[in-house]
Amino acid sequence: MAQLKQRYVLTQSQKMMVFILSMSLYGLSNMITELIPSIRLGPIELSVEYFAFIPLTLCILFHPFYAAVGAALGEVIFGEIMLGQFGGLGELEKFIGFSLAMFIAGTLVNDPRNRRQVGVAAMMGVIIHQFISCAVDIGKVWIGVEEFEAVPGLAQSVVVVEGVAFLNDVLFSGILFALLPTLYLVPRLYGKIEPLLGMKPRNNKMKYSLGEIMAPRLIVVSVILAVLAALAEFLAESDMALVEWDADFLESIGSWFIWVSIGAAAAVACLTIWLLVRRGKRSGTAGTGI
Amino acid sequence: MEYVRKLMDRVSVEGVKIELLNTAYGNGNTFLAKLDPRTLFLWYLYFGIAPWFIHSEVLLLGMFLLLVVTTMMSRVSPLIIGILCLGLLSQAGYLFIVSWLFGGGGETILPLLKLTMKLSVISMASITVFCSMDPEKLSDGLLRIGVPKQVSFGIAYGYRMLPSLVEEYHHIFLSFRLRGVAPRRHGLLYWRSIVYFLKIAVLSFYPLILSIAKRTRTTVEALEAKGFSYAYHSPEAKRIKLSYMKFTARDAVFLLGSGLYVVLLHVLAAQISI
Repeated sequence: MAQLKQRYVLTQSQKMMVFILSMSLYGLSNMITELIPSIRLGPIELSVEYFAFIPLTLCILFHPFYAAVGAALGEVIFGEIMLGQFGGLGELEKFIGFSLAMFIAGTLVNDPRNRRQVGVAAMMGVIIHQFISCAVDIGKVWIGVEEFEAVPGLAQSVVVVEGVAFLNDVLFSGILFALLPTLYLVPRLYGKIEPLLGMKPRNNKMKYSLGEIMAPRLIVVSVILAVLAALAEFLAESDMALVEWDADFLESIGSWFIWVSIGAAAAVACLTIWLLVRRGKRSGTAGTGI
Repeated sequence: MEYVRKLMDRVSVEGVKIELLNTAYGNGNTFLAKLDPRTLFLWYLYFGIAPWFIHSEVLLLGMFLLLVVTTMMSRVSPLIIGILCLGLLSQAGYLFIVSWLFGGGGETILPLLKLTMKLSVISMASITVFCSMDPEKLSDGLLRIGVPKQVSFGIAYGYRMLPSLVEEYHHIFLSFRLRGVAPRRHGLLYWRSIVYFLKIAVLSFYPLILSIAKRTRTTVEALEAKGFSYAYHSPEAKRIKLSYMKFTARDAVFLLGSGLYVVLLHVLAAQISI
């Protein structure tokens, strides 16, 4: 019985391995996505935001905390510092939001072989991450720029614009570059990659305790850091009236355009789910490719 | 899409790899590279943050000029400058087109220029600081100002390993292309080709993840053999490792020079605005 409650413990060097693996892989993918050009069709931006499947896969297969922090750090180092795009304190907010989202996604799965769990976790990871960045963006306008409140209806339109961006990111980037590749990679790598790092595959009998990782000091520090980061963001971008033009743009084009975008995204989502279900029925336990 | 292909022909993976190595190790003898890392961090603390709060055009232009000079002094590779310009231009250009189409007109150009200038000042400051130091120096400097050892190790490791990782990824990508069948027609707006390439880009990660896992294990074993975890907890080891860093006259000259320049700029800006 004692074995059933065995915690997911890693030695110092195993933690380091997971950390380095996640950092270098996600960093590399960031470098690649940085070089892929994006296509903008009005408010819909068809771009490869990030290869979210890499941190998601690693968080599901290994200890989520070290994989998530490693990936976030990899993004900052390879995608920002090495390319000279380091934005100072504003990066802190990105770092915290991203690692938090990936960590939660990783903890949602307790059996990497369970396809449904993996899929739900992948989508949740993307949704949480996009939601955090969206909320910060909206907050930036709401709190940071007072004179915007004088403009009637602006606050609402900012929310609408951000909401559309959120849906686009979740449904386009989320499905194509998070859900499908994660569903493809996790079952293939499970049991194969762990021996390479000298550890046992994660199984559903093992529990890792949140209490051990989230020591009170860490929580306090991260809350303070998060508040600082948000403040820095607000200060930093209070006079970057980027959203203003977006709002103008939306009003002039008419709200029907939002529905076109949402409709397109929904159609893609439905098609994907239908294909998945059909494929799943036909091939039973065989893998779901992309 | 035609221009993308032309661009791709010129920017080969080999070239990117060489550029990266060059950025990391190629400019160890510039003036900036010989400064103490802490001096550069201090300098960055001002030039990376202050521009957000500056609204005077004269001041921004002055800082912009200074940073162009420091960026040139740090001899950054054209690739990084290219990425910087592309990013700034595409953002500003897009905003300008949108605002112009919907009744912005001439008066939106000035704020946009100002914003672009701010962004470029900040980006150039980070390029100057982070690209002029070689990775060992950067990571030691970060360690000295109290950043966790994993981070500083990550930076050193990243700079060293990235070129070989890029190469490996490229090989896998090419072998996927070699063994697969490219779509016969490009389709509307090249969508077939785009989907094909994106699919390969994702699939190539599967072998890469496995091989990097192997590599990581070797790295960590080598680290442990050198006593990495022990040194992590030992303040004495850290002190010895970082004892070579010290401020010199060069650092003083650099900081004083920049400070004087900024003060003069402030004076100038105050006079012009009156």
